[in-house]
Amino acid sequence: MTTAARGRALRRAPFLAVDLLGALNLTATLLKYLSLAVLVPAAVALGYGEPVWPFLGAAAIVGGGSFALQRATRADHRLGTREAFLVVSCTWLGAALLGALPYLLSGDPQLDRPIDAYFEAMSGFTTTGASVVTDLDALPRSLLLWRQLTQWLGGIGIIVLALAVLPRLRVGGRQLLEHEMPGPEIESLRTRIRDTARRVWFLYLALTAALIVILLAFDVTNVDERMTGFDAFGTALATMPTGGFGTDGRSLQPFAPATQWVIALFMLLAGANFALLYRVFVRRQPLELGRDSEFRLYIALITLASIVLGVEIWLEDIAAGEAAVRNAVFQTVSMMTTTGFATTDFVSWPTLAAMTLVGLMFVGGSAGSTSGSVKVVRHLLMAKILRREIDQTLHPEVVAPVRLGRTIVDERTLRAVSSFIVLYIGVFILGTVLLAAEAERSGVDLTLREAIAAAATTLGNVGPAFGFAGPFGSFEPFSDLSTVLLTGLMWIGRLEVLPIVVLLTRHYWRNA
Amino acid sequence: MKIFVIGAGQVGATIVEALNDEHELTVLDLDEERLAAIVQRYDVHTFEGNGASRSVLSQAGVKHADLLIACTSRDEANIVAAMITKAVSPRTTTVVRTSNPEYLEVWREGQLDVDFIVSSEVETAYAISRTIGVPAARQTDVFAEGQVQLVEFDVGPEASGAVVGVPLREARIPPDSRVAAIIRGDQVILARGHETIQVGDRIVVIGSPQAAQAWGELIAPGTGKVRDVVIFGAGRAGATVARLLLEQGIGVRLIEASRERALTISHELPGVRVYHATGFDPDFLERERIADAQVAIFAMRDDLKNHYAASLAKVHGVAFTIAIVHEAASGQVFEHAGVDVTVNPRQITAEEIVRFAHDPRTQQVVMLEGDKFEVLDITTKRDSEYVGLTFKEMPIRGALIGAIVRDGHAVFPRSDERLRPGDRVIVFTESRRVPDVERAL
Repeated sequence: MTTAARGRALRRAPFLAVDLLGALNLTATLLKYLSLAVLVPAAVALGYGEPVWPFLGAAAIVGGGSFALQRATRADHRLGTREAFLVVSCTWLGAALLGALPYLLSGDPQLDRPIDAYFEAMSGFTTTGASVVTDLDALPRSLLLWRQLTQWLGGIGIIVLALAVLPRLRVGGRQLLEHEMPGPEIESLRTRIRDTARRVWFLYLALTAALIVILLAFDVTNVDERMTGFDAFGTALATMPTGGFGTDGRSLQPFAPATQWVIALFMLLAGANFALLYRVFVRRQPLELGRDSEFRLYIALITLASIVLGVEIWLEDIAAGEAAVRNAVFQTVSMMTTTGFATTDFVSWPTLAAMTLVGLMFVGGSAGSTSGSVKVVRHLLMAKILRREIDQTLHPEVVAPVRLGRTIVDERTLRAVSSFIVLYIGVFILGTVLLAAEAERSGVDLTLREAIAAAATTLGNVGPAFGFAGPFGSFEPFSDLSTVLLTGLMWIGRLEVLPIVVLLTRHYWRNA
Repeated sequence: MKIFVIGAGQVGATIVEALNDEHELTVLDLDEERLAAIVQRYDVHTFEGNGASRSVLSQAGVKHADLLIACTSRDEANIVAAMITKAVSPRTTTVVRTSNPEYLEVWREGQLDVDFIVSSEVETAYAISRTIGVPAARQTDVFAEGQVQLVEFDVGPEASGAVVGVPLREARIPPDSRVAAIIRGDQVILARGHETIQVGDRIVVIGSPQAAQAWGELIAPGTGKVRDVVIFGAGRAGATVARLLLEQGIGVRLIEASRERALTISHELPGVRVYHATGFDPDFLERERIADAQVAIFAMRDDLKNHYAASLAKVHGVAFTIAIVHEAASGQVFEHAGVDVTVNPRQITAEEIVRFAHDPRTQQVVMLEGDKFEVLDITTKRDSEYVGLTFKEMPIRGALIGAIVRDGHAVFPRSDERLRPGDRVIVFTESRRVPDVERAL
């Protein structure tokens, strides 16, 4: 080999180990299509005689920008497992940008600051439901609907939606899907990814439609005096993704008990595994519910927590009779599925009941649902891992696979579950401490309970916290730096921590 | 009778020894030396060649054989030999030895064109289960992969009044079981509702493993049941024994030296506690209190290892030891070392095949009281005249249906249960009625 040839060969090693341009290219493709969603609130704006141009402007900026970025990065790309982390992370940041633009362009005084608008949009897409808006009635209808729609789009996942409806993406969607789907991967999907995505979206759409019809019926029949057509659509769009943005400043409190019970039922469904629901509703195998160990635990936890909460608020004379039962069940389901709706202002609840609610924020719904937080199946597996560890302390030779129903969970998944829980708790503690520090610096009055709840509620994509950020309150009093931190927590929580932590490692970016 | 034996190893040799006086034998094997050893001792015809080859079988004259026994150590070769034989000579009855319980299952479901299959592993497991299944029993036999047990008890004065001294229809008999017969002196009474069990009787009970344990507790209160069995070696033999004992509700601990095998078996048998360890580690034996086990079974592939591990277990104080041995001479060695029971799978397999050769009614499983009574295991034919009848309507005399196995699960029928085609029935009957019962079903 000549010196020159050797020089060329040695210089060929790429600077980055990850195909950055390729990842950006795919992200741009996804965002380009996502920007079409803005046409829905644009149509609503036309109907209500509100300004259309903030929506068209947002579509033009994101759509055009994505198109340009896509053109600029067009090349032969190596898109694989490695790039998937970057695509998913960037797509969610980009989606929030799309979500924020209509707020900014409308110039509404409550949302005209970029940090606030971005927070509101991230809270929407990640189905958190925390809001910086203090007076919902002052927002235009079209903007309110856009808020609800971001939740609905983010519920099952932007990429899952893309896989279901878009022409074939240039990469197999499997790795992308793994990072976006909530919960650990227990059984690798045997069917085609596209079929899975379509089924999930079909069911999601059908359940949302069913809820809209029921709520409209309540409106027409006057079962619920407060219900309007707009509320029916808006509430349903925030229920199925376990989002929690309300169409009323007092969340679901002004609505009739019948409405609250129906919403509780649909939150319960939204917190169940959609693959399981598909088998139950579409394939008509209702017995599957009883066979699924995660679903059994999910229901058991909801029942148990409802009873505990009911006794607590009844004994404290917060509510009695049907109201106590309803508030306990509703608040349990709402917190555990990470929806965040409220039928009562629990800010004033005593410490025990309040801490029960905070505890529920760490439970989450089932894997493969639209809920956030840790998820029931991870708790179940963690309990099994711990039980085995304790057993092996005394009996080191025992070989005991961890089972979920009849399936044997492989050791990689178990390690991923343990690391997820440690990371999740770590991020939560770090978030709490940083919130407290920033509150100290900026002079915002934040108690320990409020700091804990604010970190837990954003990381778990729940929504309401305590104090001024309670269910009927707003996150507006937080300082700008805190708002940025909370936005980050929502993003990290929605993508389940790991994909983002991976981006922080040196060997993600460099081979050597 | 003209009998072909394929395979002149330990099983083949044992079969030849048992059958060569009465029958005209042809032995096939690939190994000339083995054949020479057989010829030196017995007056048989030998043929060197591959028993799974059609031309070899034809040349050796398989067309004239009444019975073909394929008992090499290779399952697939045995099955192929039997299937070729069936094709060349449909009238020849075929018997196959296998060490894979799955083939037994496939054959039971009628998907393997072989007349009779003997699985060394399953026979070994049955033999061990007979030894330790119900401590109070005089004799225990298992059917249907352990789901059905037939147990004989001697009724002593300590037996519970719940079943003794009252007519059977009023007795509090454990669920999923029934009394098949009462043996009083020379008399054998088929147990009808008006009969009464008395002290001094010997009774025969058919029932589920749990019911058999409950009966043990009724007949001899305080003898308890076997709860803790330790098996060393999770190979096919060890695993089959573990599965059978587990089905009978016996607690099993399995000790396996290979990590991979230990993992596989812990996947396959969720109810078993599996250790990745050897039986040669005194610390391990002490830490896991192996000495507290009621029974230790040594099922490793190597006799030497079994011998050492069994001796070590004895030293640690295990009360009852059973060893699975592979060499013909090992039995004596183990007994000298103080091992309580030895089971030789090849010996058992050969015995089972020989029993079949003597009396090729596949269904006959167990003989009781000399040969007055038999227990049959029959699959009901579609055109049986009894299909669709309830059990109380059946005009069978001198016979009693103890259990049926339907879709792989044992059912202990009440008298208003209807028989369906394809049901596998466990029938207790007088020996002279056997042909009638077989014809009827």
